[in-house]
Amino acid sequence: MSAASTPSRALRGRLWRLLSRLASLKLTLAILVLLAVGVVAAYLSDTRTVWALVLPLTLCAINLMAAIASNGIFRRQLPLLVFHLCLLALIVLVALGRMTYLKGQLELTDGTWFEGQLSAVEAGPWHFGRLDQVRFASDGFRIDYDPGMRRGPTRNAVRFLDASGAVGQAVIGDQTPLTLCGYRFYTSHNKGFAPTFAWTPAGGAGSVTGSVHLPAYPLHEYRQARNWRLPESGIEAWTMLQFDGALIDPERADEFKLPAEHVLVLRVGDRRWTLQPGQYVVLPGGRLTYQGLRAWMGYTVFYDWTIPWLLAAAVSATVALGWHFWRKFASQPWDGVEVPDGDGNA
Amino acid sequence: MLEAQQLWAAVLAYVLAGSGAIFGVVLRRNWQRLILGLMVLGLACHTASIVVRWDRLGHGPFITMFEILSSNVWSLMLAFTIAYWRLPAIRPSAAVVMPILFLMMGWLLMTSPKAGHFPPTYHTTWLFIHIGFGKVFLGAVLVAVGLSGVVLMRATVWGRDRFQRLPADGRLDELAYRCMALGFIFETLMLIAGAIWAQDAWGRYWAWDPLETWAFVTWLTLAFALHARATSRLSPQAASWLVVAVFVIAFLTFFGVPFVSTSPHKGAV
Ligand code: HEM
Repeated sequence: MSAASTPSRALRGRLWRLLSRLASLKLTLAILVLLAVGVVAAYLSDTRTVWALVLPLTLCAINLMAAIASNGIFRRQLPLLVFHLCLLALIVLVALGRMTYLKGQLELTDGTWFEGQLSAVEAGPWHFGRLDQVRFASDGFRIDYDPGMRRGPTRNAVRFLDASGAVGQAVIGDQTPLTLCGYRFYTSHNKGFAPTFAWTPAGGAGSVTGSVHLPAYPLHEYRQARNWRLPESGIEAWTMLQFDGALIDPERADEFKLPAEHVLVLRVGDRRWTLQPGQYVVLPGGRLTYQGLRAWMGYTVFYDWTIPWLLAAAVSATVALGWHFWRKFASQPWDGVEVPDGDGNA
Repeated sequence: MLEAQQLWAAVLAYVLAGSGAIFGVVLRRNWQRLILGLMVLGLACHTASIVVRWDRLGHGPFITMFEILSSNVWSLMLAFTIAYWRLPAIRPSAAVVMPILFLMMGWLLMTSPKAGHFPPTYHTTWLFIHIGFGKVFLGAVLVAVGLSGVVLMRATVWGRDRFQRLPADGRLDELAYRCMALGFIFETLMLIAGAIWAQDAWGRYWAWDPLETWAFVTWLTLAFALHARATSRLSPQAASWLVVAVFVIAFLTFFGVPFVSTSPHKGAV
């Protein structure tokens, strides 16, 4: 035996012992308990407790890798190996998904295009998506209400630019998202009225059209007003929508609709106007025309490229486990439990 | 109303069957055929009641507490009746299982049968798939808990005497383990189907809402129980306590959480 091989063998022996220790099945049980405790702690806690899940999942991945590498049972039982490999894949995919996902919200006035801006966004540090290339427009929506103002199905007609740049059309809503560049856009329960204005600066430059999204309707039925700022001029304005009666009849089946008649109250400083569509007011720096009322729809957007892979791993895990148990139990039938005397009861 | 009469008839048949099972064990009588007959009769009446209501409201029993309890009593009774029919040797475990179902029936009869609102996100086949898998899962764990209950009661003098003729603890434990394995597969499928539905319905496949959280904790507990049994030498008693723990957590998840939370999962959108 050469002098060089002795330390390397000792080292290998030490590494193997470490691997076996990391692969301990008692550790697996402890990790499962730790994970359950972590889940409950994260659920009950108000503060961010990501570590309560990250720590046990990391330990679980190490434990799994060590066991797959060193435990002979995985060589002898293929289904068990496939199941645990799928579990490992699930942990890795969830981790990658958390690093690259995006979740956000946006509101869109009927007839206008989404151009990549979200009103709220939350994303993993490695999210490098192509949201800025996504284009779609809402062409209006219908929402049914059951008696008692219980919201029914939402159908939102949308136009979008597909990968080749051609305009496509679809109806989305509830369970049917619009999927573009991997981003899934869902209609939300947030929707309302959008008074639309044209602002024409005094200097003769072209006018700008924009909408004010009033608070969600019918959620904020009695708060149909808000402050906003005119483009560039910095003028503060306040707008309120007024109409008679309930738009959605609580007594019968009805649907979301724009008011047949309404007036719009506009206040700038201590001046106040009531406007009908087509009327305008002259303000310092330009002219503001009330063009009319439209609706806005709130959307949530979700991006996670791991979804199909997660599904594949989860289904494969279940099939492999079914296979494992099938092999394990097939050798002895379920009713193989002996009965002492025929139909014997105690 | 016809559907209420059918439900009362079903509960009466179940109660008679369950009482027969309990007194059969206590008095050492063999009324198994009669008990099986009553269970089947109860299931027939209960099925009719659910069908009549479904037809009247135009949706299945998934919305209100009344509907969820009713459909679960039905599916648990169905699961246990199949086990009772196919595995004659374990029939006396009905004396453990039926009191659990009595509890649910009492609760069911105290809840209001008023119709609820069918949320838009429930218009999907994933609802049926998700709920169907969940019912198989809970049914399998119920059978396991009956067997484990026998093992645990046999640790007492009274129980050893009453449940003497059932197969040995080791065999009961093996059967309970098989039910748990079956339950684990179906709970996994339930979670997968639920995630697919949640992705479609709420734009996220998992968000740790109270039901998702507790369903995952149940899944972990079940994984723990199976792992512990496969990797270390557990006594039938210890394994039985694990089965009971899984059942308690699963039961609280199914029937406790939906009624204390207003998360979208409950349908309150
Ligand atoms: C959430 C994580 C896990 C779940 C849900 C899980 C689930 C399972 C299941 C259901 C079985 C089959 C038991 C049976 O045949 O009755 C099993 C067996 C096994 N698992 Fe896991 N497991 C997990 C994590 C791990 C980890 C981290 C390890 C690494 C040590 C591991 C190692 C094993 C081994 C060696 C067996 C074979 C046991 C035997 O039949 O003797 N598992 N696991």
